[in-house]
Amino acid sequence: MLFFLRRLVGAIPVLFAVSIFVFGFVRVLPGDPARLVAGADATEQEVASARQSLGLDRPIWEQYVRYVGASLKGDLGVSSRTREPVIDVIAARFWPTLWLTLAAMGWATLAGTFIGVWAGTKRGRWQDQVAMLVAIGGLSFPGFWLGFLLINLFSVHLGWLPTGGFDSWLSLLMPSFTLGVGVAAVLARFSRSAFVDVAGEDFVRTARSKGLRERRVIWRHGVRNALIPVVTLTGLEFGTLLGGAIVVETVFAWPGLGRLLVDSIAFRDYPVIQAEILLLSAEFLLINLVIDMLYGVLNPEIRLRS
Amino acid sequence: MVSSLINRRSLQIAALTVGLGLAAPALAAGQITVGVGDNILGLDPTDLNDSVSLSASRLFFQGLYGFDRDLKLVPVLAERTDVNADSTQYTVHLRKDVKFHDGTPFNAEAVKINYDRLRDPANHLKRQSLLEAIDKVEVVDDFTIRLVLKAPSGVLLNYLAHTGASILSPKAIAQYGKEVSRHPVGTGPFVFTSWATDNLKAARNPDYWRKGLPRADGVIIRSVGESGARLALLRSGEAQFIFPLPQETVQVVEKDSRLAIDKTPSIVTQYVALNTQKKPFDDVRVRQALNYAIDKNAFIKVVYNGFGIPQDAPVAPGIAFYSKQGVWPYDPAKAKQLLAEAGYPDGFETEIWNFSNTLNNRASQFLLQQLAAVGVKVKLNPLEAGVATTRLWGAKTPEEAEVRMFFGSWAPSTGDADWALRPLLSSRSFPPALYNISYFKDAEVDAELQKGLGTADAGQRKAAYDKIQKLVWEKTPWIFLSVNTLVAGRDKRLTGLTQLPDTSLTYEDAELQ
Repeated sequence: MLFFLRRLVGAIPVLFAVSIFVFGFVRVLPGDPARLVAGADATEQEVASARQSLGLDRPIWEQYVRYVGASLKGDLGVSSRTREPVIDVIAARFWPTLWLTLAAMGWATLAGTFIGVWAGTKRGRWQDQVAMLVAIGGLSFPGFWLGFLLINLFSVHLGWLPTGGFDSWLSLLMPSFTLGVGVAAVLARFSRSAFVDVAGEDFVRTARSKGLRERRVIWRHGVRNALIPVVTLTGLEFGTLLGGAIVVETVFAWPGLGRLLVDSIAFRDYPVIQAEILLLSAEFLLINLVIDMLYGVLNPEIRLRS
Repeated sequence: MVSSLINRRSLQIAALTVGLGLAAPALAAGQITVGVGDNILGLDPTDLNDSVSLSASRLFFQGLYGFDRDLKLVPVLAERTDVNADSTQYTVHLRKDVKFHDGTPFNAEAVKINYDRLRDPANHLKRQSLLEAIDKVEVVDDFTIRLVLKAPSGVLLNYLAHTGASILSPKAIAQYGKEVSRHPVGTGPFVFTSWATDNLKAARNPDYWRKGLPRADGVIIRSVGESGARLALLRSGEAQFIFPLPQETVQVVEKDSRLAIDKTPSIVTQYVALNTQKKPFDDVRVRQALNYAIDKNAFIKVVYNGFGIPQDAPVAPGIAFYSKQGVWPYDPAKAKQLLAEAGYPDGFETEIWNFSNTLNNRASQFLLQQLAAVGVKVKLNPLEAGVATTRLWGAKTPEEAEVRMFFGSWAPSTGDADWALRPLLSSRSFPPALYNISYFKDAEVDAELQKGLGTADAGQRKAAYDKIQKLVWEKTPWIFLSVNTLVAGRDKRLTGLTQLPDTSLTYEDAELQ
């Protein structure tokens, strides 16, 4: 618990550094947010008016002081694109992204690990080769292509599933499948090699020589240890997907964080870009923390050392 | 949410019956779903400048005037207007039978509150310049309002007809303040239900002042940016209308007997602005040569799949006071001859910019090839929209301007020649003020633009705009290219949904059979 708290407190300076970096970074991007807000057919007065209402007519140090001051009070500002509070903009996209990530990671982790371990136990046999071929196939499938194949089959021809959007759990099926394929494939290959490595270790031989049943040797001794690198990878993939999946979100008109970031950058929507990058950094820090704790669960030795 | 579940269920039933070889039943009766290409950014028309949001706001809002399908000015919340002799006072008589969705009566006071709100610079509304000609808004009686102008104007009613000058419920303005953009309350045919990120829902206004309308029970607007996904929305029956229909998918729609393609002539002109103050474009012979060098019909065919017409005047045919000049002929030999006369027998090298996207890049590539054929070597520099704002409007003076050729377009949203010409060709419109990217400066054109703007007399205005268009056509500050056709996909059971030349949709008469 103390470890957990210490890590949480340690995240604060990191996030602070990120906030400064992002604040500077968005302002270095070429492009005039006021002109983008006002539009190509705006008069000079309208552009000036937009600049004033965005607070961009003030000196940059003043903008930063205001930004930090407001952020500390929990006020992330107002989107220049939609004039909504940034917190609402992000929240509206965060939940769809979280659901999509959980669904995709859920099935992909289970299927990927299972296929990987299973292939590992059949190392060198035809089952292994077929499984790894499928995994390579899954890796090389472009997401937009798979997405459109699914839409064409299940929405246009069969009419079973909605083409996209975020309305019901049915609309979650195709995007989460499309998004999970690549992850499952990576995990399958990764957990196979991790398992193969572990299977050659002394402790596995010991377990077997003790006369334990093969199933127990594999799942209790082998897989548990092989899972450590797999957990690391899963955590990283999870973090990446939480940042939004632009291709899948685009194909399935999914209102996620990936598209929000792209749209915000195109519009030079400084407050939203800042908040979203900060959110992503916080998510990564949190995920890393959870992974570290999972290590301890999987291997008590790691817990002791820390 | 409930209605979307019902929709979904009826969809599944539809799917099952199709599977059994039976005819598909209609979707939830009269519920129309429209797929659009961009996100809706807000629903306060006075604070919007993108066409998708403005179009969506028309579900809820109306102005004193509006446009019909041919962009002719028609009274909406106004009955008629009396203009005084020198065009400085407009007395508008309002309809007496109109209520806002929240029950607030529509009257002169409501108009005054709205116009004063839009005009007040402190409100920072994006459409404030629509009413900049107005000096005072006076309530004459309950249903009469007088607009006193700073200077004579002939185009005021066109500005009032712009969606940006729509009338909001004064009660909603007071109640919601800046949040009014998420709580649209107007006088329009539909009332607001809900708006999530990609999904706007509206229901029939039962007390709509046009009796018997609207026909549809409700409208859903879904934002689907990816063109293939938008097409799937139409083909799967989830939407009954999509715009824009990607031109490369037109054939798919044509083959489907359930679907139709709607074509609407637009008011969007596509042209290349040539920087008339920089060499070699300061020589009118060079500019004319470039006009001769482009095959406009091939341009439309290759870039827009044939959906468009060659530009035959500086403004599109749908614009008031359009004055036809005839398409600039395609004649590469003449182009070479003019270049030689101007001192460029071997052509020259230059650069073309655009707002980078697939279509603009394809168009620019086509121009590159045609210009190369007459010896003009052009380098394409596609600009990301944000970067373009700094490159185009960053220059404070014509001397600073780096732009040489710019492939762009213009959609004059007031439907009048003034806004089709003045922002692009007046010497007062050089960036950063407005959009005169060709830095065109001509005393005669400037004078006529002022004349056209300063009178409400149709005869005088016509004379001014005839002269301007003739002058501009000869002086060729642009390579005149095309006026595009709007292409939408429609389920044949949907009727009465019309698209205006400025891309906005009118839902009043729409119904699903």
